[in-house]
Amino acid sequence: MSDDIAVGIDLGTSYSCVAAALDGAPQVIPNEWGEHTHASVVSFLADGAVLVGNGAKKNIITNAENTVYSAKRLIGRFFFADEVKKAQAVMPYQIVEGPNNSVRVRVGKRDFAIPEISALVLKEMKAVAETALGRDVRKAVVTCPAYFNDNQRQATRDAGRIAGLEVLRIINEPTAAALAYGFGKDINQKICIYDLGGGTFDVSILEIGKDVFEVLATAGDTYLGGDDFDDRIMTWLAEDFLRKHQLDLRQNKFCLQMLKEASERAKIDVGREGAAQILVPGICQTPEGEVLELRESLAAEQFNRMVMDLVQRTFKVCDEALQSARFTASDIDAVILVGGPTRLPIIRNSVRHYFQREPMTGIDPDEVVALGASIQASALLDAGAAASGQASYLLDVTPLTLRVGTVGGFTERIIDKNTPIPIEKSKTFTTSRDGQERVKIRVYQGESNRADGCEMLGEFEFTGFRIAYRGEVQIQVTFEIDPNGIVNVSATDVETGQRASTTINLSSGLSEQDIRTAIDKNAEMALSGHAA
Amino acid sequence: MNIEFIMEVEQRAAALERLDYFEVLRLPQTAGADEVKAAYYRESRTYHPDRYAALPSPQLRDLIARIYRRINEAYTVLRDDAKRQRYLADVTGPERERKLRFTEAEESAVKEEQKRKLEEQYGRTPNGRKLYAAALKDADGKRWDAAERSLKAALMYEPENAKFKELLAQVQKSKPRVDPYKIR
Repeated sequence: MSDDIAVGIDLGTSYSCVAAALDGAPQVIPNEWGEHTHASVVSFLADGAVLVGNGAKKNIITNAENTVYSAKRLIGRFFFADEVKKAQAVMPYQIVEGPNNSVRVRVGKRDFAIPEISALVLKEMKAVAETALGRDVRKAVVTCPAYFNDNQRQATRDAGRIAGLEVLRIINEPTAAALAYGFGKDINQKICIYDLGGGTFDVSILEIGKDVFEVLATAGDTYLGGDDFDDRIMTWLAEDFLRKHQLDLRQNKFCLQMLKEASERAKIDVGREGAAQILVPGICQTPEGEVLELRESLAAEQFNRMVMDLVQRTFKVCDEALQSARFTASDIDAVILVGGPTRLPIIRNSVRHYFQREPMTGIDPDEVVALGASIQASALLDAGAAASGQASYLLDVTPLTLRVGTVGGFTERIIDKNTPIPIEKSKTFTTSRDGQERVKIRVYQGESNRADGCEMLGEFEFTGFRIAYRGEVQIQVTFEIDPNGIVNVSATDVETGQRASTTINLSSGLSEQDIRTAIDKNAEMALSGHAA
Repeated sequence: MNIEFIMEVEQRAAALERLDYFEVLRLPQTAGADEVKAAYYRESRTYHPDRYAALPSPQLRDLIARIYRRINEAYTVLRDDAKRQRYLADVTGPERERKLRFTEAEESAVKEEQKRKLEEQYGRTPNGRKLYAAALKDADGKRWDAAERSLKAALMYEPENAKFKELLAQVQKSKPRVDPYKIR
């Protein structure tokens, strides 16, 4: 047993959680106040310090412009993405465009890349673990939604590096959850993980044999989560208020935040008690100076009607995953629920109905992912586990088809979705002009034949091969997907076997230089509430 | 980590380019789907990179990663019936040396083959296929007139299609003989 330690971090859209396997038993590490989950909210205080976690969540209202939340919805996206436009409309903090179509958050005079914001959340998780364990923590396994594309995964890994962590592995949230439930002890089982988080939805179908976790298929929606349920309540409250008082609460970002908070609370109350009383005193003032309050009550049936279509969307994704795995719902031996919103009775009942069996909820759905990540973290550290043969192996897949751009805005498949990773595949390109010095290819991920229906990962440019007539030079480009689900591209000249040099022209990510600078800046920022 | 294992890894990595997918998974060419999966799990237990993440030697980790990528590649092809059939023909054929890895050319060949099979079974043109399928259904339901009509139309799209002609002959034979001039 090495004396090194590695933690597992669930970096969530709304909440994050950190866990470690201590003496072989995975457990969640609470902060000094005994909280197990921490809001993924970063608040920049006037004195230059940074407050992260549940304390920062209160600042969404009082210090709205300097408090960043739901950053995960923006991570690894291009500035022109719809999600970014939507965030710009509703978020009280400023979202601006950075170099190469990237997204930046402007706080005061400084622009932060999204990985820098996530790095602060990770830094808080690191600090929580260090305080509780009384020692330095430098290594971690960080989780991400199974349906995250390469840009989003790279950005997540960058965030870890910026926070001063060695990211041993990026693992998929549903896979981590399966690991935490610790199947794989006896016979083969087919299980389904239904993971509805704050901002993303994932389904993974796994087949579990003796200490092997094989992911057969993954499907998901990175635009569907608990936040969307809140949105429905919010819209209803706002429309109702508009009818009564001719005032639109959504016009004012301050009111909007109070409305958002009330909606989230109402959702939780409805789930827990079957009805919610909503009361926000002094939510706004009329032009005449009269102070208005927001008072409503929400019954379970009414809430269920509001979100029914969202719930149904999750089962479309389930259909897709089952179909890829060539199963039907009745083939599944167990269903695991992951994520806070799966506490809602409407979700539980619908899942029970769809799979015709009682879902498993033995482990807290907010903590199960971090626990699984910590198991993986300790397995990756422990060289002895291999020899003793006690480790479990994750055989994961790539969630999206990898493609290259061809003429006319079309794409061609290279590696199909649900192919086990790590994997590599080669494709040969030739020059199309005499004396051509460089070959450019664009790499995409997605399920559309057309480039604009897919997410672009980057444009790669190869140089340093022989100069010859057109069609004479053959360049073999190798696409590799590593165990983190991250894509690497390299090229060689087929005839000479010489490696061509590769540069990335377009990418949403940070350059090595950017990351170095960010690491230094991150180190300078003190976390409020922790001794330096 | 013992020395024998390191030697095994080095040998295996060096031999990788000469192994076909069955050899990569240490399987007989006759193995069934269950055996393919079992072999994949077995090889994963031995070569999964996670087992060796804590190894100090990056060269050795690299070799293991290379072997494991090939194991995944082999599994992806052998678990898919259409690809496997094609691959088996390739590696048992005269061009074995060149076809140890299943590349884009083979993949498109598999697609072509599937398309051809579909054509053989149901016709070359979309309309021909549609009409032939309808005729098959009608013939099953003993609606001979409808079947005959569909087949005649299908033959207009594909006059040379032997399958269409054959079914038409059958339909016309099974059709109850009615004297067109007889007044009933």
